[in-house]
Amino acid sequence: MSNPEPTPPPPPSTIKIDGREIPFEKGDTIIRAAHKAGIDIPHYCWHPGLSVAANCRMCLVEVLPPPGRPAMQLDILRWDPEKKEYVPQKKPKLLPACQQACAPGMEVLSESSPNVDEARGAVQELLLLNHPVDCPICDQAGECRLQDYWLEHQRKGKRMHQEPVHKPKGVVFGPTIVYDAERCIVCTRCVRVSAEVAKDPVLSIRERGNLGEVTVSPGRELDHDYTLMTEHVCPVGALTSSDFRFKARVWFLRSARTICQGCATGCNAFLDYDPRNNTPYRHRPRDNEEVNKYWMCDEGMLSYKHATQHRQTGALVGGEDASLADAMRAAKEQLQGLKDDPERVAIILSAQHSVEDNFALLTLARTYIGASSFFVSGKPLGRGDAILMSEDKNANTRGVMSLVAATGAGGDKPEAPRPIEDLVKGIAAGKYAYAIGLGADVEVDAKELRSALSKLKGFVVIAAHDGALPRAARVVLPACAWTEAEGTYVNKKGLAQISEKALRPLGDAKPGWSLVGELGRALGFATSWKRIADVRSGMPAEVLVKRPGQAEAEEPAPRTENQAPAAAPAS
Amino acid sequence: MEPLDEELEESALELPSEPMQLNMGPSHPAMHGTVRIVLELSGETITKADVQIGYLHRGFEKMCERGTWTQCFPYVDRLNYVSPMLNNVGFALAVEKMLGVTVPERCQYYRVALGELARICDHLVCNGAMAMELGAFTPFLYCARAREIIWDIFEEETGARVTHSFGRVGGMANPPTAAFKDMVRAGLPRLLYMVGETEKLLLKNRIFLDRLEGVGRMSKEDALSLGWTGPTLRSTGAAYDVRRAHPYLVYDRMEFDVPVGTTGDNYDRFMCRQEEIRQSARILEQALEQMPDEGPINIDDPRVVLPPKDEVYSTIEGTIQHFKIVMEGVKVPAGECYSYTEAGNGELGFYLVSDGSGTPYRVRIRPPCFAAVAGLQQLIEGAMIPDVVPTFGSMNMIGGECDH
Repeated sequence: MSNPEPTPPPPPSTIKIDGREIPFEKGDTIIRAAHKAGIDIPHYCWHPGLSVAANCRMCLVEVLPPPGRPAMQLDILRWDPEKKEYVPQKKPKLLPACQQACAPGMEVLSESSPNVDEARGAVQELLLLNHPVDCPICDQAGECRLQDYWLEHQRKGKRMHQEPVHKPKGVVFGPTIVYDAERCIVCTRCVRVSAEVAKDPVLSIRERGNLGEVTVSPGRELDHDYTLMTEHVCPVGALTSSDFRFKARVWFLRSARTICQGCATGCNAFLDYDPRNNTPYRHRPRDNEEVNKYWMCDEGMLSYKHATQHRQTGALVGGEDASLADAMRAAKEQLQGLKDDPERVAIILSAQHSVEDNFALLTLARTYIGASSFFVSGKPLGRGDAILMSEDKNANTRGVMSLVAATGAGGDKPEAPRPIEDLVKGIAAGKYAYAIGLGADVEVDAKELRSALSKLKGFVVIAAHDGALPRAARVVLPACAWTEAEGTYVNKKGLAQISEKALRPLGDAKPGWSLVGELGRALGFATSWKRIADVRSGMPAEVLVKRPGQAEAEEPAPRTENQAPAAAPAS
Repeated sequence: MEPLDEELEESALELPSEPMQLNMGPSHPAMHGTVRIVLELSGETITKADVQIGYLHRGFEKMCERGTWTQCFPYVDRLNYVSPMLNNVGFALAVEKMLGVTVPERCQYYRVALGELARICDHLVCNGAMAMELGAFTPFLYCARAREIIWDIFEEETGARVTHSFGRVGGMANPPTAAFKDMVRAGLPRLLYMVGETEKLLLKNRIFLDRLEGVGRMSKEDALSLGWTGPTLRSTGAAYDVRRAHPYLVYDRMEFDVPVGTTGDNYDRFMCRQEEIRQSARILEQALEQMPDEGPINIDDPRVVLPPKDEVYSTIEGTIQHFKIVMEGVKVPAGECYSYTEAGNGELGFYLVSDGSGTPYRVRIRPPCFAAVAGLQQLIEGAMIPDVVPTFGSMNMIGGECDH
C-alpha cells in the first residue's frame, strides 16, 4: 500500500524473544530474525535457503497479544491426576515461528514459556512415535536433530507400546540417494530443495499422517545435479547418500574449511575426514551468502575424492619412480642451460593450483630466470548451469590471470598468460627449449602435446595429480593436493578464498610453492620460502582483495556461518 | 697401643671419607607403591633423607581430559586401589556438585555402606602390611582373611573384587543386591573377631611395640602445617574428619566417634586405624538399619543417567538417551568446584573444571597421602634405618593416589 503523505518515522524494527530485544528486517519471520541474532529456535522443516512449509510444528512459539488486547486462547481438556479425569482449561494458541512475520514491538516467548516447552515435547514425541530403533546403524547418528531435540525438549520414554507403522526401507531414489521411509519425518525439505534449488520438482509426498512418505515422480529418478543437497538438508537419517552410506561414523570425523575444486565457482565446503587413517569421507556445503549460499552441486560434493584418487604421490624421472632428491638432481640436469637462454623458457602456470603455488613459480620465472613466456594449463570447459556450476572447471583461473597481470610490466594492455595451444605452436616453431610446468590437466589433445613437448631440451612438471602434463614431462615432482596444504583460490567473481589444510600429504608430496623453491635452489637461485607466509608476503595485494572494485575496508562480513578468512593479510 | 708411625701427621692417618648413601627403593619390598628414599647415613643413623615420589606416574589428570566424565571412574578406581569405592563415591559427588543434583536417599546410604566397607579394607591392608614388614606374618594373613569377607561382598555387589568402577554420575551402576544387608551383617562380626585376634597377636609383642612406640613422632602443629589429614593427622591429636567436620551423604545421621592419638607416633597411627575399623563397623550397622529396601538408586534425569538396557534395545527414546550419554557424555555446566570426602588416607579432594561439554576440562586431585609422604623426611631424619620401614608403612602411601 502506498502512502502519498510524508511517512512518519518508522517504529523501531525490533522484536523481543524471551525478553531479549533483536532487530529484524521487513519481511523477516520470527525464526529468521532469531537465526540472524544467533538465537536457536528448534526446527526441522525450516531452512534459511528454502521456502516456508511450517509442517513440523517444532518451532511453535507463544506470541503475546498487543497491549490491551486479549490473548488468543484455545479450550482444551487437561488430565488432572488428582481428580483422575479431564478438566476443561484454556491455553494460548501457539504460532509457528517460521511462518509468523515479525511486527515491531512483538513479544515472543520461546524458551521461557511452559506452553511452548510442552508443545515441543509433544511434537517430538509424535515424531518419534513410529521411528525405528536405528541409531546404531544410521549414518545420521551423532548429527541428528531427533537425537538433539529429544534430549533438549522431550526427555521422556515411550508411552505408545503398539507396533509402530512400518514403511519401506532402503528405497533407491537414484544413483546417489537411498531413502528410508520409516526414519522420515516428512518435513519436505528434500522436496523443496529439488523444486527450488535444483529447479527439478521430481520429489513429492504421498499419503498422509503416519503413512506419509517421500516419493519420486513416476518414470523418473532423483538424478538432477543437486541430489546430494536433498541428503544434506535432511534433518534426520531418512535420505542417505549412497557414497557415504555406512562408510564412517561422524563423531570420528574432523572438518576442515576448504574450497571446492570442481569449478570456478569456488563453493565453500567442509571436507570431513578421519584423521586416524588420513582419509576424506565427504564434502558438506559451508554457508556463504556471496558464493554458494547453502548449496553445492553433486559434482562438487563428490569431488572430495580427487584428494586421494589419481594422485602423483612420488617423483618420476623419465616415467620411472624416483626419490625426491634424485628427481631434483635430474631436474637440475634437464634445466642446465636455461640461465643462458631465458628467452626460450616457457612457464606453464596452473588454474588448478593455488595462488601461492603459481606466484612461487611466477617469481622463480620472472625474478630469477628472467623468463617472459607464460602459459596456463587447466581442465577443458565442461557443463555449467545457471545455479552454481561453472563451465570453467578450474578453481583458480581468475587467480592466475590476475596474478600474471599484476606482476607484469604494466602498460595499457594487461598481460595475460597464453593458452597451451600457443605453446604447442611455439615449440613447433622452435621458440622454446625449456619448460617448467605446474598442474596436471591440459585442454589440448594429450598426444599432440606430448609430441610437441618431446622436442624440448628440458621439461620439468610439478603436479598433484596424474595427467597429460606429468605424463609428457621428463621429471615430475609430486605436489600436495588442495586438501593437504593451505592455499588461496580466486573464484570467477574475483573472491579470494582460503582453503585449509585437512589431510597429511600422501607419499612424498610437498606443497607446490615449496617444490618451486627447492627447484629454484637446485638451479642456484635464492628462492627460500620456508612458510606459506613467506610466499604471501611478496604477493601483489590486488590479487587477494576480497571483492574486485571494492576498497579493502575493514567492514564486518555479512553473517555467514563459519566463513573462512577471505583474504590473507598482504603485509 | 703405640701409634703406627709417630712421624706422620695426625690427619694423614684418616682415610678420605664421605657419608654413606643408601637407596631404599624404588624397588624395595617395604617401599610399596614404588617410592625411592635416598638416605645419608652416619652409621645406622639417618642424617638426611630425600623422599622421591613419581615412579608411578600415569598422568591420571591428563587421562581424564580425554573421555567423558563417566569414563573417569575406572581411572579414579586406580588412585587408591586399596579402597576404590571411596574414590568412586568421591568423584561422583564432585561431578554431582557441579551438576547441582543429589542422589536419592537409598543411594546415599548405599554409598556410605560401601564406602565404610572400603575404609575397613584400606585400614586392614595398611596395618597388616606394616606388621608383616616388621616380620609378623600371621597378623597379615588374619587381615587378608578379614579383607576377603569384604571383597566377597564387593564381588556380590559389583561383580569385581578390586577395581569396581561402580560409581556413576547421579547414582550407582546397580542397586544393592537382595543379599547385601545379610552378607554385611553376617560378615561384620567375623571381621571384627579377626581384627581382635590381630591385635592380640601384636599388642603384647615387645618387639612390635618397641618398633612403633615413640618412633616417627609428629607434632599436631607440624602435621597441620604439612596438610596432613585422615588417620595420620588424627594420631597427632587433631580430631579432623571430613565426615564429622563437613558431613556429606548421610554422615550427619550417623553416630560414630573420631578416634585421636596423643603423640603422633607409629603406634598412634596404628591404633587410630584399628579403632576406625570398629567405628566404621558402627556406621555400617546404622546405615544398614536406616537404608530403605525399596526406592530408586539413581536420580531421575535422562540427561545424566543411562536408561534401562531393555529400553535401549526396544525403544527409540531409550536408544537416543543411551547414545547421547555414551557418545557425548553428561553435559556438566561450565564452572569449577572443589569437592572433598574422607577417603582411607584422609581428605580426598577433586578440583574439577568444566567447559560445559561432556568431557572434563580439568580434573585435579588432592591425594591425602601426597601430604603425608611430604612429612616422611621429617619423621625419619635422625632415626635408624630399621625405623624407616614401620614409619613408611604407617603413612600408607599409595602410589596410584600419589600420581603427581
